[in-house]
Amino acid sequence: MKNQAQQISIGVEFRTPPRPMTRERMRWYVDAQPTIAADDGRIHTQPPTIHDDDDYAESQGLPGIIADGMISTNWIQGLLCDVFGSVIASQSRLRTKYIAPIYEDQIVIAVVRVSSVTASQTGGFLYELDVWCEDDTGKKLTVGNSSVDTSPQSQGVKNSHASA
Amino acid sequence: MAVGRYTSDLELGDVMGPLEYTLSPFVVREYAHSNELHHPFFQGRKDELMMPPTLIHLDKLRLYRHACPMGAGPDARIHYEYDCTMHEAVRVGERVAVSGKVVERFEKRGRMTVVIAMELRAVSDGRLFVSYRDTVLLSYKPKD
Repeated sequence: MKNQAQQISIGVEFRTPPRPMTRERMRWYVDAQPTIAADDGRIHTQPPTIHDDDDYAESQGLPGIIADGMISTNWIQGLLCDVFGSVIASQSRLRTKYIAPIYEDQIVIAVVRVSSVTASQTGGFLYELDVWCEDDTGKKLTVGNSSVDTSPQSQGVKNSHASA
Repeated sequence: MAVGRYTSDLELGDVMGPLEYTLSPFVVREYAHSNELHHPFFQGRKDELMMPPTLIHLDKLRLYRHACPMGAGPDARIHYEYDCTMHEAVRVGERVAVSGKVVERFEKRGRMTVVIAMELRAVSDGRLFVSYRDTVLLSYKPKD
């Protein structure tokens, strides 16, 4: 990760390695919902959804299962955490819009690009970022923006696995 | 008020919650694991853990379950937009209250859209942790 006292320049872009949106990845998010609702340490499942059941998805007019939009939002969020660390969980904003469905095995790449940076009075930086997910043809699937404040009072546990 | 049945019934001004719960290590780690967020502040020791901002999405479903226990309604509900601001880290063990209000409901090109504004606050002193705005399409029809 970047040293948070070090400024990241406008135009710098971070990208995740390409990941296929597999059937399992879609189901993990489906299963997480009742599992977390129960909060009893065990796995729980739910009735069929458009994210894990082909027949149900087709009954809703879809050609097959599609990913929950939150998965692409989470992959963008993960990249932001790679770059900025735990400040994402304490002093940040993320907006995403799902502009195209993500189908089974479609390749997804999350991207974060610095659009502006301002030094804060407390020694950190306020970043504005363009964020998106694209497929392996460059087609955008999810788009949005993010604001991150790296001021020292907002920093918590640090992380270290990103490179520009 | 249109709460009490389907989420597709939700009307402008409807209020959901507040609902209280305690953020557990299991919830943080399980959510992070399901989304491949392998950062130590999401999957590490209990005293390191912080709520992933995106977990607020499951708080929306928590409100839905409480206010609209019969589910989505006749058509699948499609999530269209996520907009989350973190004001302060939420640590495990924190007792929190989540609430939501329908702030927009409109039809555009045959698609009914509902916008919910939510807040997650500390039960102890009411300080704001998360503000969230969620947009869903209630009558999704794929393009021909």
